[in-house]
Amino acid sequence: MTSPTTGADPVIRVSDLQKHYGETRAVDGVTFEVAAGSVFGLLGPNGAGKTTTVEVLEGLRTPNSGEVRVLGVDVIRHPDALKPRIGVSLQNAALYPKLTVVEVLDLFRSFYPTGRPTDELVALMDLSEKRTTRTQDLSGGQRQRLSVALALVNDPELVFLDEPTTGMDPAARRSLWDVVLGLKSEGRSVLLTTHYMEEAEVLCDRIAIMDHGRILEEGTVDELISRRFHERAVRFDAIDGLSDEQLAAMPGVASLKHEDGEVLLYTGDVPATIGAVLDASEALGMEPANLGVRKPTLEDVFLDLTGRALRD
Amino acid sequence: MDALLLLTVANIKSFVRDRAALFWTLAFPLIFVILFGSIFSGGGNDRSIGFADLDGTPASGQLKSAFGGIDGLTLVDGDEADLVARMGTGEVAAVIVVPQGYGEAVSAKAAPAMVTVYTDPSQSQADSATRQLVGFVLSAVNQAVSGQPPAVAPAFESVQTNDLSFISYLVPSILGMSLMQVGVFAAIPLVADRQKLILKRLQATPLRRWQLVGSNVLMRLLIAVLQTVIIVGVGTLLYDVQISGSWPLIGALILLGSLAFIALGYVIASFASTEDAANGMTSAVQFPLMFLSGTFFPIDAMPDALKTVARLLPLTYLGDGLRQVMVDGTPFVPLWVCFAVLAAWLVVCFGIAARFFKWQ
Ligand SMILES: Nc1ncnc2c1ncn2[C@@H]1O[C@H](COP(=O)(O)OP(=O)(O)O)[C@@H](O)[C@H]1O
Ligand SMILES: [Mg+2]
Repeated sequence: MTSPTTGADPVIRVSDLQKHYGETRAVDGVTFEVAAGSVFGLLGPNGAGKTTTVEVLEGLRTPNSGEVRVLGVDVIRHPDALKPRIGVSLQNAALYPKLTVVEVLDLFRSFYPTGRPTDELVALMDLSEKRTTRTQDLSGGQRQRLSVALALVNDPELVFLDEPTTGMDPAARRSLWDVVLGLKSEGRSVLLTTHYMEEAEVLCDRIAIMDHGRILEEGTVDELISRRFHERAVRFDAIDGLSDEQLAAMPGVASLKHEDGEVLLYTGDVPATIGAVLDASEALGMEPANLGVRKPTLEDVFLDLTGRALRD
Repeated sequence: MDALLLLTVANIKSFVRDRAALFWTLAFPLIFVILFGSIFSGGGNDRSIGFADLDGTPASGQLKSAFGGIDGLTLVDGDEADLVARMGTGEVAAVIVVPQGYGEAVSAKAAPAMVTVYTDPSQSQADSATRQLVGFVLSAVNQAVSGQPPAVAPAFESVQTNDLSFISYLVPSILGMSLMQVGVFAAIPLVADRQKLILKRLQATPLRRWQLVGSNVLMRLLIAVLQTVIIVGVGTLLYDVQISGSWPLIGALILLGSLAFIALGYVIASFASTEDAANGMTSAVQFPLMFLSGTFFPIDAMPDALKTVARLLPLTYLGDGLRQVMVDGTPFVPLWVCFAVLAAWLVVCFGIAARFFKWQ
C-alpha cells in the first residue's frame, strides 16, 4: 500500500474530492496534485473549504467521494500507514494546557519511531525562552509556533500547515516563512493554507485559489496573474477635463477603470501611456498627482475571479 | 510502550496541576471520613454516663470520682428522672443512681450497698460495654472499701463486638463512593481534550487508541490506589477501624470496581459534547449513586421502593463487596454476585463507549 516516492511522483494526488455536511458542500469536486519537494498553497477566504480538504488528506475526515493518495498511500483506506510520515499543524493549535512547551514536544516525540531532538525544534521555532512555560500561558503566536514545531517532531517528508501564521505579528510571520523555505530546501514538501496573499506569493511554488468548495484556478503566481492580466495598470488621481474617450485612445491602453478617485489605465506599453498622460495633462496646465504603475497581484486575480476581495 | 508511559505521566501532570480537580478527588472523601468519623465514632469509646447522687456523702463522692477518673467517660450530673429521659435521646448511654443511705450502708458493711444502673438493651453493644464498665468500677470500689489489695486490677479496653460500628461501615462505603467518583470523573478531562481538539491532534499521530485509553485508565487506577491508602489510613489510624479481609481480594474488587466506573465515565463522555454537559451528566450520575447505594446507611434500612433502585446500581455492589471483604460486613448479596454485577457493568459500558465515543 505504500510505494516509495520518486522525484517524479507527486506527493499528493487528489481527484474529484467531495465532502458534504448536510446541505453544505464544504468540498465540491476538488482535483489537484502536489509535486515532491514543493510548497503548495490553498488560498481562499474563510469557509472556502481549505481546512476540510487538508483534513481529508491528513486522514482525519472521511470524504463522501473522491480519490486521495498521499505519499503513495490510499488515505481513505489506510490512514494509519500515512500518519508516521506526515507532520500536521491544525488550524487551531491543540495543546495540553497544563503541560510546558518541552513536555508537549517530548510527549509527541514519543509517538514516533524517529524524530528530531526537542532542543533543536525549540531553537528553530524561537521558543527557547518559553521552554518551561505551560502552553496555556503562551501568546497566540507562540502557540502557533509550538503547533508548527509539533508538526516537525517526527522529521516528516510532508508537512501540512493550516493557516500557520494566523495570529502572528509580522516579525514572527517572516521567521515562519524562513522555516517553511528551509523545509523546502531540505527537500520536504509542504501543503499550506492561507488567506494572506503575500504569504502565498512568497512561499508557494504553486497555488490553488479556492472558494465555495471549488478550485477556481491553479498554477504558479506568475501564471495566475498573466493568465488574466496581460497589461499593467498606470494609475493617477483623476483630472477634470480628461475624458474617458481621450484616455482610451492613448497609446497601448486596452481598458480603463475608475477606482476611489483614481484612474487605472490597463496598458501593454507603460512608457508610451505615461508619456501620453503627461502630455495631455500639461496641455490642461496640470500635473498628474500620484502617478505610478501597478503590477496586478493575486488579490486582483481573486477579485477578478469572484468579484469580491479576499479578505473581508 | 514509551508513548503509553509518557502519556500517562502527561495525564498525571495535568491532573496534579489542576488544583481544583486534585482537591475534589483527594480531599473530598477525606473530609467525608473525618466528618462522619468525628460525629459517629463517639458510639465506640467516648461515652457519657448520667450520675444521680441522691446520697451526697463522702462515700458517694468517692464512687463518683472513681467513675470520673476513667478515660473516655464523661459524667453528667442531674436528677434521676431527668437523666433517664436524656438516655432516651441518646445524650447519655447509661444512668447510675446512688440512693440515699449508700454512705451508711458502705460504712456499716452489714449488707452490700446498692446502686441502680439504667442501661439501654436496644443498644446492644453499648449496653454490654456499659455493664462491664460499671461492674469493673464497682468491684474496684468494693476492694478499696474492704481495705484488701485488689486481687485483679481491671484494665479498661474498648469492647469489640461483632456488630459493625458505624465508622467501620462507613470507611469501605466511602472508599467505594470515591472509586465511583474517580471513574465517572474520567469523562470531564476527556470531553475537555476533545473540545480543545487535542484528541483530533492525537489522531493525526501514529498513537493507537488503546494507548490513549490505556494511559487514562492507568492514571485513574493510580488515583484509586492513592484514595484507598488515604481513606483506609485515616480510618485505621484515627478511628481504629480494623481491616480484616485479604488484600488480594480487596485489590481485585477495587480494580474491577474502578474499571467499571471508568467505563461509565467513557459512556458519559460519549454523549456529552461540551465540558459543561459532561459536568452536568457526571453530577446527575454520581449523586443518586452516592445516596441510593447504601453508602451512608444499610440498604436493609431503606424503603422497599428504594431497595429496588439500589439493586440496580453498581455502587451498591462495590460498596457491599468492599464492606464484606474489608470489615466483615453483613452481606446484602453474596460476594460473587458483587463481582459478577460489576463485571457486567464493565462489559456493557465498554461496549456502549466503543460504539458511541467520538474523537472529534
Ligand atoms: N464539521 C463540520 N460540520 C458542518 N459544517 C462544516 C464542518 N466543517 C466545515 N464545515 C463547513 O464547510 C465549509 C468549509 O469550511 P472549512 O473547510 O473550515 O473552510 P476554510 O478552512 O476554508 O475556512 C464551511 O461552510 C463550514 O461551515
Ligand atoms: Mg480553515
